[in-house]
Amino acid sequence: MVPTEHHGDQWEPYVDNGGSTLAIAGEDFVVIGSDTRSSDGYNINTRYDPKAFKFTNNTVLATTGYRADCKSMAKSVQAQITKYAHDHGKEMSVEAMAQMLSIMMYQKRFFSYYVFPIVAGIDKEGKGAVYSYDPVGNMERVGFRAFGSSSALLQPFIDDQLGFKNRADIKPEERELHLPDLQQAKNIITDVFNGAAERDIYTGDGLQLFTITKEGGIELEELPLKRD
Amino acid sequence: MDPITYKLPHTPQGIQKPGEPVKHISSPAVTGSSVLGIKYKDGLMFAADCLGSYGSMLKFKNQHRLHAIGKSTVLAFSGDVSDFQYMQETLDELMNSERNWEDDQSLGTKSIYSYIHAIMYQRRSKVDPLWNSYVVGGIEKGKPFMGYVDLYGTTYEADSLATGFGKHLAQPLMRKALEDKEGDLTEEEARDVLLRSLRVLFYRDTRSLNLYQIAKVTGEGVTISDPTHLDSEWEFGRNIRGYGF
Amino acid sequence: MVPANRRGFHFDNCKRNELLESKGSITAKFTKTGTTIVGLIYKDGVILGADTRATEGPIVADKNCEKLHRLTENMYCAGAGTAADTEYTTNMIASKLELHRLNTNRQPRVVTAASMLSQHLFQYQGHIGANLILGGYDINGPQLISVMPHGSTDKLPYMTLGSGMLAAMAVFETKWKPNMERDDAIALVTEAVSAGIFNDLGSGSNVDVVVITKDRTDYLRNHSKPNQRVPKQTSYKYPPGSVSVIRKEVRYHSNANQSPAAVVPEVVMSES
Repeated sequence: MVPTEHHGDQWEPYVDNGGSTLAIAGEDFVVIGSDTRSSDGYNINTRYDPKAFKFTNNTVLATTGYRADCKSMAKSVQAQITKYAHDHGKEMSVEAMAQMLSIMMYQKRFFSYYVFPIVAGIDKEGKGAVYSYDPVGNMERVGFRAFGSSSALLQPFIDDQLGFKNRADIKPEERELHLPDLQQAKNIITDVFNGAAERDIYTGDGLQLFTITKEGGIELEELPLKRD
Repeated sequence: MDPITYKLPHTPQGIQKPGEPVKHISSPAVTGSSVLGIKYKDGLMFAADCLGSYGSMLKFKNQHRLHAIGKSTVLAFSGDVSDFQYMQETLDELMNSERNWEDDQSLGTKSIYSYIHAIMYQRRSKVDPLWNSYVVGGIEKGKPFMGYVDLYGTTYEADSLATGFGKHLAQPLMRKALEDKEGDLTEEEARDVLLRSLRVLFYRDTRSLNLYQIAKVTGEGVTISDPTHLDSEWEFGRNIRGYGF
Repeated sequence: MVPANRRGFHFDNCKRNELLESKGSITAKFTKTGTTIVGLIYKDGVILGADTRATEGPIVADKNCEKLHRLTENMYCAGAGTAADTEYTTNMIASKLELHRLNTNRQPRVVTAASMLSQHLFQYQGHIGANLILGGYDINGPQLISVMPHGSTDKLPYMTLGSGMLAAMAVFETKWKPNMERDDAIALVTEAVSAGIFNDLGSGSNVDVVVITKDRTDYLRNHSKPNQRVPKQTSYKYPPGSVSVIRKEVRYHSNANQSPAAVVPEVVMSES
């Protein structure tokens, strides 16, 4: 046998390139955060490989997992969205795109995309929408979601801060009345990603912060994260 | 009496039986080690040594691993040589069919990169990968571009790229050089960091050679140097005595 | 079974553990520190360097741990690999060296420490996962010796170990020279460890350095701190009443002059 970089009896067609994503839906906005590190094992591939993709003027797809699949999936979605715009003379809604992605992922049920996607945008009622999926297309609309290598660190934190889970001072039925405002949501995302960069070795280098509002469309801010 | 069988490095791991699912993935035979690429003021510079290994055997000392594709793109490869040659034929076909339009247009770096990625991702999706890592770079519409693709179809871009052992040994040096000059290296500085990296690879990568080539892409086009000897320093070894006791 | 009177070590449990593992039972996971440790010899002595990140899989377990272990006043040991093994191995050798110093009334030598480490690790046939760089100064001058888990040793003028060893070695191979000045040597060690910190995900946080010379040892804890935490945007203080009280109980520690009857536990059941 020839020793080479990648070898084994059975070649695995998947790689985990790390990184984290987080989306928060507000009353009339959504914010999506994702780090820009791409890694392979203990190696940093590049410090800048954006994993959130902007579609239409209203939708962002944030992905983690195997980056070749992420990009391939995003490309297919873009193709469908462009085709839809040509066919119908209007942009695809978030609801439609969310459903479409679920179907596209399930179509690859037995050789699935190794991707954990989040679709975020403003829905037809003007409300912030976040859709989360598993790698084979199981879809769920949620108020907030964290995915990727830091998801186990981030999700419990936002469950507490935004979901008010196990809070004695807020009744379960009143939880959705306490939606964050835009600045609060942005602050939580920057704080939470700085925290993730401290404790998760796969998250770091840079933060992309997308803000989607009905009037403002999609805005992108880029902030530095720890590089170690 | 049993027939005498030879086990060569590229011998497939099992025999295909009829009706069974198709088994792919043979091991690489003749391979190249790391290639490096870095952006600088006037364009991009690439470096690779000239070794084609056969397993652990130092077999070919004239293996060219930097190639020009079109007028302003360099393709640098590591991994299996025959898989690379297949890729090169495919790209030649592509470039020829583009030339047949006779519209004075040729594919730019990003298009070539995208095409290579498409082939690599297709082959990984057939679980029959091309056993290579590529660094593709060039100048398109006056702007430098450099990207990485490997057998998984993984792609990424950066101001410095490396494959194989170079990821571990050369990237830290190239990243530091770029950081110190805020991403604005002169040609001399770029050449210096590439040679330093090649030297470290020669010291520390067992599948490396002190014979290298450097390729440059600028607004003027592509130049690839002849194989050149790399100097190295072993004088410190004179003072080493034993292993501790 | 091994007879009770047989001397030496036996590894029945290792084989048993391998068998259990192959049958799918859960085996103990331990903290393996992805690490960058380095050492070099310069004009007046020897310098060791280390990063300060300890990991548990993908999680940073300790952001500022110490990987430079003191063996004696004139010897330090940088450790990579299984955290517990490097810690206990160096502690044990440090204790034996101190007793040796007291018995012989002489400064312990680097070779003594090296052979103790090597023999200890060889006995355990690689099951103690300690990768060590031993640096010290004795009557034979500055010495730098690496010891691998199976007990093999190496004596070199500069060396790196751990998951960041290649990043650090790339720096040494381009910049190390014999007979460097103290400040240049410290800067080089810092640069090598930093290469590991920023390019290897198993290494991170700060740079620790120790400089050992003929009659002085300087331990420069957190010599470089390139990864300070950024301040938070918001306060995450909870308002009073956000945690439900299930049961309230006050207990007083009994005093000698207080009769047991005076200790009355106060139990209040809360509303929810």
